[in-house]
Amino acid sequence: MSEALSALAMRPPVQALPWLPRPAGKFRDHIASLPSEPLQALLDLQSLAQAAWSEADLRQLGRKIKTLLTSAPASLAAEARQRGLPQVRLLVVSASTASHLPDALIGTALRFGFLLDVTIAEYEEPEPWLARNRDALQQNPPDLVLLASDHRMLTLRSPLGDAAAAEQTIEAAIARAMRLAEVAGAASGHQVILQTLADDPDRVQFNMDLGLPGSPRFLIHEFNARLARRAQQQSRLVLDVNALASLVGTAAWSAGRYGYAAKYPFSTAMIPLYAEHVMRIVAAQMGRSRRVLVMDLDNTIWGGIVGDDGTEGLVLGNGSPLGEVYAALQRMALSLKERGIILCVSSKNDEAIALDAFRNHPEMILKEEDIVAFRVNWDDKAANIKAIADAIGLGLDSFVFLDDNPAERKRVREALPAVAVPELPGDPSDWLSVVQSAGYFEQAGFSKEDQLRAGFYKANALRAAQMERIGDHDDYLRSLAMTLSIVPFDSAGRKRIAQLISKSNQFNLTTRRYSEAEIAAMESNPGILAVQGRLLDIFGDNGMISAVICRQAGQRWEIDTWIMSCRVLGRRVEEAMLQYLVEQARGRGITTLVGRYIPTAKNGLVRDHFSRLGFVQTDSQNGETTWELAVGGYDEKQLPMKVESQARGKLAAAGGA
Amino acid sequence: MANASEAPTSPDGVLARVQEVFRAELDDQDLVIAPETNQKNLSAWDSLAHIRLVSGIENEFDIQFNLSEIERITSVRQFVQLIEERVR
Repeated sequence: MSEALSALAMRPPVQALPWLPRPAGKFRDHIASLPSEPLQALLDLQSLAQAAWSEADLRQLGRKIKTLLTSAPASLAAEARQRGLPQVRLLVVSASTASHLPDALIGTALRFGFLLDVTIAEYEEPEPWLARNRDALQQNPPDLVLLASDHRMLTLRSPLGDAAAAEQTIEAAIARAMRLAEVAGAASGHQVILQTLADDPDRVQFNMDLGLPGSPRFLIHEFNARLARRAQQQSRLVLDVNALASLVGTAAWSAGRYGYAAKYPFSTAMIPLYAEHVMRIVAAQMGRSRRVLVMDLDNTIWGGIVGDDGTEGLVLGNGSPLGEVYAALQRMALSLKERGIILCVSSKNDEAIALDAFRNHPEMILKEEDIVAFRVNWDDKAANIKAIADAIGLGLDSFVFLDDNPAERKRVREALPAVAVPELPGDPSDWLSVVQSAGYFEQAGFSKEDQLRAGFYKANALRAAQMERIGDHDDYLRSLAMTLSIVPFDSAGRKRIAQLISKSNQFNLTTRRYSEAEIAAMESNPGILAVQGRLLDIFGDNGMISAVICRQAGQRWEIDTWIMSCRVLGRRVEEAMLQYLVEQARGRGITTLVGRYIPTAKNGLVRDHFSRLGFVQTDSQNGETTWELAVGGYDEKQLPMKVESQARGKLAAAGGA
Repeated sequence: MANASEAPTSPDGVLARVQEVFRAELDDQDLVIAPETNQKNLSAWDSLAHIRLVSGIENEFDIQFNLSEIERITSVRQFVQLIEERVR
């Protein structure tokens, strides 16, 4: 029934935040029934904040949060922080009215999991305000400054058709904006968010104007493009107000009556959308962007039910309008992957049948290898998403879940409130714009902190680009100039080894878990060869990505544990590890390596691991397989990487040679 | 007419809803307003609060005031009159 209803429902406009669930009931009734205990009230407000409340309701929400914080004991903020609600201080500098914005910002911030504290400077030129408040800002600095520039702060006027004058006008405005950013940044010691200027629908404009120096449209567009480039160079953040205004229509964005009556910078109806974007940037800057997209399959990334319709019966790709929608959705997912987003699948299906569609449907854009974690079974989807989070080692608050079925969406929202679950309108052709407008994966750009954190994703993107350029996989691997360094377990690597052993599920042959203490004990056990592998390449350090534990039994080594991070799949690291094991075995008179594969729900990836490495199967019981490799029969391979193995002498001694 | 006081467009119903908006926008849950309440006798109703009240009432009743009305309104009575004109 609810599915039928949602199919009939119209898609709400962007300013109504269409990806959020519609609110239930009157906001003031919710407020009236809040519990009296302030922390619980705050947490209840946080779940209330997940719906698309109107601008007036949003301001009420913000005011309620402020009241709770000011009337509660000082310990509330600390308790809230422990429950994942940290405080963030924002300074908004505007030459227009801004006093109507803080409450909506505070309400929106709670949706993002922040307790926002807002200071505003409004109505006046920012320079004197910043000068006057320098000491106060330094004593009590905000975490971020929003330089909410608009046409009142930066007036762009220049004679029509005069290119040199236009150039001067634009450069002067850019220089002022960047100087303000510098002053505001220096005063607070923190990041500054700059704004582009919205096109003004009230100014005279002809179709030719984008090419006419001095016309309002020319000046604004030139200014915006330069501001964005300059911000990038100077590691400033940008809130692209003009992109927002274009999204909803510049006439709808414009303040109209409120601009004349009270110097409002834009229409009040746009405040929820504006606040959402401010918080998106703040959240990204605080490392709270989402990084994982989990997709349902049937009627979400293809039309039809693969279990009933078969691979060839799916609606996907050319030849059907609806099929092209699903293809576009898959292309969107692939573009997100290029931006470092991890793609996963959670679907109620038979795994073999679902995989058949991935492998054999000619119009599939997403390939098996694009999907980092595949949870295709008949289990509860919330449980599957939780399992994916454990497998890839990212928190549920990094996750977005895409599903056409309203019942599944509701279930996941209730079971896993940290996971973002966009509403999808009844018509799939509306889905892309809704998911795009949700902006879950916003990235803050290139601040110094970010550069470090984003390094890994960026390196992966570079590797992908390299692969694309080179084409041949082996040539690509050689071009990476990889160095695999293999060293025995040591105290320096212990934490990461423990993490890898406790979290690896996919490339994990036996899924044996060891505590940090047990791992420490292995370091000095002469009957055990336990090594860790770290991979470097021209794009950076991939970190510690593999661990192997061998237990000696006479002249045999039983491979107790073999794990590898999926980040380096396809890099032939496992072959290099084996070659190292064989060398070590030879040095110590070991004649046979014994491998074991213990299947779990998660490690199908390595079912054929030992067979691919040239081991011979010797036993099989209940899916559990045993394999052997004669050390004497191993032929050394040319591998596309340099292997550095340190402390070999120490190892040999420890082995009792 | 028996349930006139509950109808959203009856003067009392409108006044009650306007009062909710005033309470929310002026952040005063105990505020009681009457048609006579105006910018002079309610100190919280300053020029910034005024535009918030206008916006809140537009939202509550899904109506729009034009610029000269926004300027002209100084009392609850005027708000109620204009709302009734619009909603009727």
